[in-house]
Amino acid sequence: MNLSMVEFLLQQTWQAIRRNGLMSLATSSNMAVALLILSTFFLATLNLQHMANVEARKANITIDMADDADAAKVEAELWGDMRVGEVRSRSKDEALEEYAEIMGGGDTEEFLAALGDNPLPNAFIVRPKDPQDMAAIAKAARSIEGVSDVRYKEQVTGKLLTLARGIKIAGVVAAVLMSAATLLIVSTTIRLTIYARRREIRIMQLVGATNSFIRLPFILEGAFHGVMGGAVSTILVLASYSWVHAYVGQHLNFMELVYNSTFAVLFGLGAMVCGILFGVLGSAIGLHSYLREI
Amino acid sequence: MIHLQGVSVVYPDGTRALSGIDLQVDRGEFAFLVGASGSGKSTLLHLVYRELTPSEGRVIVSGQDVASLPRARVPYLRRNVGVIFQDFRLLPDKNVWENVAFALDVLGASRKEKYRKVPLALELVGLSEKEQSFPNELSGGEQQRVSIARALVNSPSILLADEPTGNLDPDISWEIMQLLTRIADRGTTILCATHDRVIVDGMRKRVVSLVGGTIVRDARGGGGYDEP
Repeated sequence: MNLSMVEFLLQQTWQAIRRNGLMSLATSSNMAVALLILSTFFLATLNLQHMANVEARKANITIDMADDADAAKVEAELWGDMRVGEVRSRSKDEALEEYAEIMGGGDTEEFLAALGDNPLPNAFIVRPKDPQDMAAIAKAARSIEGVSDVRYKEQVTGKLLTLARGIKIAGVVAAVLMSAATLLIVSTTIRLTIYARRREIRIMQLVGATNSFIRLPFILEGAFHGVMGGAVSTILVLASYSWVHAYVGQHLNFMELVYNSTFAVLFGLGAMVCGILFGVLGSAIGLHSYLREI
Repeated sequence: MIHLQGVSVVYPDGTRALSGIDLQVDRGEFAFLVGASGSGKSTLLHLVYRELTPSEGRVIVSGQDVASLPRARVPYLRRNVGVIFQDFRLLPDKNVWENVAFALDVLGASRKEKYRKVPLALELVGLSEKEQSFPNELSGGEQQRVSIARALVNSPSILLADEPTGNLDPDISWEIMQLLTRIADRGTTILCATHDRVIVDGMRKRVVSLVGGTIVRDARGGGGYDEP
């Protein structure tokens, strides 16, 4: 393949795109919409999983001990549970300090004066290796001698993970449907191009152009729609995502979204690559059914 | 150059287009294939540039068995076999120069090569003055000459002509035949399918007559449409 060949191929591709102007526009737009929907599902799944992971890292179980409990024995029993990842002890005094802080950062002396005596128990804070084991660990801990109470937050983590799973499934279904629609549209456009250029193709065959040379402009045309669709969808998705990110940062700051410049670049490249794959595959399908003989 | 041995062609619907064809055309020879419509002239030409493969027999072109040629090798065969048609098959949105250069473009010819070969081909067919014209601005004879230039620009050793004068006036047809004769004189093998009696009688070249898919007469030393 030399330079004039490349020039000729690009020229052929560009001519075909221009000749079928409206159809080309429709194909690129459809590609953009397909990638837009896929990107949205991808971002939603990614962020829900991210939030679930963040929550999971915070998840822990508070195990209160009776005043006369043997702390060392309780701790040893907790460590005996293979599902336990970390055990940290929290004394009555530390608990009070934390409580004071939560209540507005007051002095613990004031609280002690008001309460008379520190009512908070000595406790162990247990972090499970896997947040899914939360309930099982809590149940086991209740039966340990000297444990007065076991508390853990009914997990948001689980709910987030379930939601992420649901969105992932919906995303996969949408991806399959949108991919099929996109492939259909790209292959139809390519068939139209083939039809419009049938005389040229015939002459190319007659004067001895190789099959790959005849096919290449169509593959390039598909790739072009992929690049266009990828670019448009990336711009739209990243623009709206950065707006959502800013909004969440301002109004819903308990949520944390995945967002940085490397992510944006990788995301754009990913969309582009997906678009090109769709385009090339769509062209290949169109070529296969209409140019079987060449 | 072209050698058919015991060739038969049966179409999928059972129609027998050619049967028991033995034909040899040598380098630089000019031969007419004559016969009524449906006698198998075009089918025979299709075999030579591997548009068709024979149901039986062998088709040897430039020493190569064309029927057993892998599909990927067919383009390379066709670079050695120029073809022209009754309907010229020019690209309407390209001018004369571009139409001829197209045959070089698709083979990846360099700009330099195009600027060397296209003017030569146009000069050969006498259209140097019209290189900027578009097909719709040309007469039928001129359009056929463009298609000849395109078929020859890659210097194939064989030129197949399928009813090249079918759409042309007698005077113009005669000019095209003179042009083909000059091309044959330069060493190109020409196989021309026609049912133009006047042309064949006037040229006194080799005449191969087909009737119902078989060769009924082969006037090797030159002859007319009907008589030896």
